[in-house]
Amino acid sequence: MDGRQLLDDDLEQVGFHWSKLSKASPPELLIRFVFGGGIALVAAISGSLFGPRFGGLFLAFPAVLPATLTLIEKKEGTTKAWADASGGVLGAIGLAAFAFTALQLLRANPVVALALALLAWLLVSGSLYFLSRETGLFLWQDKLLTKSR
Amino acid sequence: MSIALIGLKTLVGGFAVVAFSLIGQAGHPKRFAGLFSAAPSVALASLAMTVVAKGADATLPYAQGMLIGSAGMVAYCLVSLVLINRLHALVGSSLAWLAWLAVAGGLYAAAGR
Repeated sequence: MDGRQLLDDDLEQVGFHWSKLSKASPPELLIRFVFGGGIALVAAISGSLFGPRFGGLFLAFPAVLPATLTLIEKKEGTTKAWADASGGVLGAIGLAAFAFTALQLLRANPVVALALALLAWLLVSGSLYFLSRETGLFLWQDKLLTKSR
Repeated sequence: MSIALIGLKTLVGGFAVVAFSLIGQAGHPKRFAGLFSAAPSVALASLAMTVVAKGADATLPYAQGMLIGSAGMVAYCLVSLVLINRLHALVGSSLAWLAWLAVAGGLYAAAGR
């Protein structure tokens, strides 16, 4: 793990390089489509067979992450894959906020509920990202999880 | 559940994952892009399809299951961080599925059913 690279990563300004999308290769997109569609299929079938609450478990299953992280490691190295997984922790906490918000509002208005649930995911994971970045929590996490190496 | 609805959920789920992964691919720095690796892509697609086909009441238990699954997802990401550092991405992030299984499965067995 390259600590310097992680520090540089955290100092980079947050944003989007939309021009990068032209470099997205069709095989990589196909892999993500297959894994994403596959887990949606598993959730639907297991929900039918064993009950919707059981099927719902798979709506928060990390089906695509191993493929994503492996592709990042291949192209940009292990440190970048690690950084991506590190952001994934915060996105996963946001997932809980998404499910909680949907649960509270679905009966009242399903369309608004899903829109606000998505907003809750964005706000919770985004706020945690900026909080961790500004307070040095990322640095603490990096040291804690890599100290035995 | 009809075959057509299952097929639709699969298709829309796949497209949603691709859409969020493209946003993640464009995002920087890498830790910020990582947020989109754990985006509610499949959940959003699947819950929306269930709402349309069966109504809000039928969607609630899926969201309850998802809340349990998301605890597993947090555990997965934390364990994958430790394992990627030791075993590299493919083996580390695949083995970390066991953490999801333990936490989501354990919580479901204890309280979810």
